[in-house]
Amino acid sequence: MANMQTVFINPERCIGCRQCEFACAVAHSRSKNPALALAEEPVPKSRIHVSPGWAYNTSVPSRCRHCNPAPCEQVCPTGAMARDSSHDLVLVDAHRCIACAMCAMVCPFDAVTFHAQADGMPTRVVATKCDGCIERLENGQEPACVEACKVDALVFGDLNTLIAADRLRVSDAMLAATTSKAPTGEPPASVSGWRVWGESAAHISEEI
Amino acid sequence: MDAPDTLSKLSISNDAREMLVRAREEGIETVWDRLAAQQPQCGYCSMGVSCRNCAMGPCRVDPFGEGPQQGVCGADADIIVARNLGRTVAAGASAHSDHGRDILEVFESLAAGETSGYEIRDEAKLLALAKEWGIEAGDRSINEVALDLAEAMFEDFGSRKDHVGFLDRLPEQRRKLFEELSITPRGIDRENVEMLHRTHMGVDNDYVNTSLHALRTGLSDGWGGSMIATELSDVMFGTPKPIKSRVNLGALRVECVNIALHGHNPLLSDVIVQAAHDPEMVALAREKGAESINLVGLCCTGNELQMRKGLPMAGNHLMQELVLLTGALDAMVVDYQCIMPAVTDVAKCFHTEIISTADKARFAGATHVPFDPKRGLEIGKQIVALGIEAYVNRNPDRVRIPAGTMDMMAGFSVEAILDALGGTPEPLVEAIRAGKIRGAVAVVGCNNPKIPQDHGHVTLTRRLIENDILVLVTGCAAVANGKAGQMLPESADMAGPGLSEVCKALGIPPVLHMGSCVDNTRILTLAAALANYLGVDISQLPLAGAAPEWYSEKAVSIGAYVVASGIFTVLGVQPPIFGSQNVVKLLAADLEEVVGARFAVEPDPEEAAKLICGHIEAKREALGLPFVATDAAPADKVA
Repeated sequence: MANMQTVFINPERCIGCRQCEFACAVAHSRSKNPALALAEEPVPKSRIHVSPGWAYNTSVPSRCRHCNPAPCEQVCPTGAMARDSSHDLVLVDAHRCIACAMCAMVCPFDAVTFHAQADGMPTRVVATKCDGCIERLENGQEPACVEACKVDALVFGDLNTLIAADRLRVSDAMLAATTSKAPTGEPPASVSGWRVWGESAAHISEEI
Repeated sequence: MDAPDTLSKLSISNDAREMLVRAREEGIETVWDRLAAQQPQCGYCSMGVSCRNCAMGPCRVDPFGEGPQQGVCGADADIIVARNLGRTVAAGASAHSDHGRDILEVFESLAAGETSGYEIRDEAKLLALAKEWGIEAGDRSINEVALDLAEAMFEDFGSRKDHVGFLDRLPEQRRKLFEELSITPRGIDRENVEMLHRTHMGVDNDYVNTSLHALRTGLSDGWGGSMIATELSDVMFGTPKPIKSRVNLGALRVECVNIALHGHNPLLSDVIVQAAHDPEMVALAREKGAESINLVGLCCTGNELQMRKGLPMAGNHLMQELVLLTGALDAMVVDYQCIMPAVTDVAKCFHTEIISTADKARFAGATHVPFDPKRGLEIGKQIVALGIEAYVNRNPDRVRIPAGTMDMMAGFSVEAILDALGGTPEPLVEAIRAGKIRGAVAVVGCNNPKIPQDHGHVTLTRRLIENDILVLVTGCAAVANGKAGQMLPESADMAGPGLSEVCKALGIPPVLHMGSCVDNTRILTLAAALANYLGVDISQLPLAGAAPEWYSEKAVSIGAYVVASGIFTVLGVQPPIFGSQNVVKLLAADLEEVVGARFAVEPDPEEAAKLICGHIEAKREALGLPFVATDAAPADKVA
């Protein structure tokens, strides 16, 4: 797909605040209101998952990559996993899902979970994963996780443009490694100082 | 994160490891599980750049510099970090000082003859304090003098004084410095309230100004609330003298009613010790099939009792859930501070009765027996009786007490140290001058599950004594070192040749137990006495502080008053300030020019030891004492 708009993850930027998770759950509630969503039954669930990294003060957000071809779509026996052509998203048809978890077994990113649906879909437990915030996109909004992320660990845009931007960072690091030029893309001292402690603390555990 | 693959990485002590295995087997959740469940923890919060002080917010600043750089009010990372740090210090100072006030209130009631179970056990100390506070004893009764002292100390909590009473212990240079910097603590409650005022939106928007007031707030704790707590506890419960004790979960006895005393305040626990020795209570325990009543200590309530009565310690902060997992604890009596809400959940897996005693510290699932000093002994007996009743419900098949205890020595008040030195600091000063002892370091503070339990305390302490540095410990650090066998007179063999020689001559351990966390003020008093003796400022002495495993707001207040008093301090756990490089630079570098001391952050105790040794030698060099040049350059080390 040319000009494919997607959520791109920059794990170096993630500081583990988990506000994307909260925003995702609210975006997939009935009320779309953070104060009311928590009181809904069933409680809305996040479809993006921030996992701890290798040391304190490191973390990685993970969500459905909307692969193409998508392994989940290929193995789904009921056709509940299907590609939406308008936004090139892999979506779950909750009415067709039989919660067999074949999709979860083949997902390379463990992005599929199983929950009762909070946003008006059947309330029984079915496959639950990122829908690319298709409702918000159609209203001209960014995905909720991207809107919530203030550190650009999650950015929304054209995939090739985002990858090209990241290539600049990589080329900077390569130049720094092969020449005497200092890298310019390092995180600011505040963030690196914060991460250094986590690395040292992880190192202590190795000594015990 | 890559969780430690074996439970043995969570703690260095075998009694803890044995109980962690049991917790895993039985699916009982502990602090380490809850820490893992919290990963990753919020970076805005742990860098200190989130603010929820007002309803235009909550706000956060993007530490990468591209997202929002100011809160709605316009506060940048510097202001937000300083506000948060200031409030943390105020919370810690308030906790210590409210503890001090509780002691003072009972002291006043005792002097007025309104209490049961209390007495003035150290008249000499009371008279010395009265003299220090300008109260004439004359030929008045001890109670009349005590009432005047109580009245004078209550004034320290108010707003009518220009400095708190104990500040006069400081060298003159330091008091003048505080005046110049406008950080003289005037009143205990005043500085805390002012910090809350300053950090309200639209008040103090200069991070340097806010941070200086954070030091002043800490000083109102160290030279105010905590010092009142320590000194009056000595008057009422006895000034500690060197005493033998034991430590470990093995202090629990299968044949006895086991009652743990947990928290911080010695007011109630002292009368519980009396009640547990009461023949009526012992008879009741025997009637129920127990041999006797066995009391053990946890955290700083335990330290208070260990210092004065040699009560065996079950453990420090991270042992509070694990002691329940022995299945042999019949009652845990709690007062306040550092008592995890989780204890009542863990207790549900066993027969243990959790008994709360402070009206300001209640726990869902606990039996509440409100403490009243007027009926102290009666309440003490009521609580012991609850423990005996719970003993009847103990399931012998569920009892698993880790074997053995470690011997340790406690009881080193300033008075006891001076006694050991023959009544004058001269021998200690001479040993430091000659270089047999290079300096002294306070290793203090809590446990934090982010650091393998006790590893920071024990390793740092060991390296320091190996380098002939005398170590003074309080709180969780004392328990950790006791468990590691570093607090016996024969532990002198672990020390370097100089320190070992001095310890053996005096018959003391190389690591001296100075009490609970409010008793860090004993270390301040000792530092001030040494400085006054030498006619120098505290910041010139070869001293340092370390909190390798700190977790609590109280520890931040302690850090603030120790550094403000002129003592370099190394923190093992990162405080939430790294979102502002300006605040980091102020605390870890520029403060040196302001108060003659600064902070450093270093989680690895081996590295922290190098930093401290380098600092001590640099101070020796500046004093014209023999020194060893080191390659550690503490001034460059921030994190």
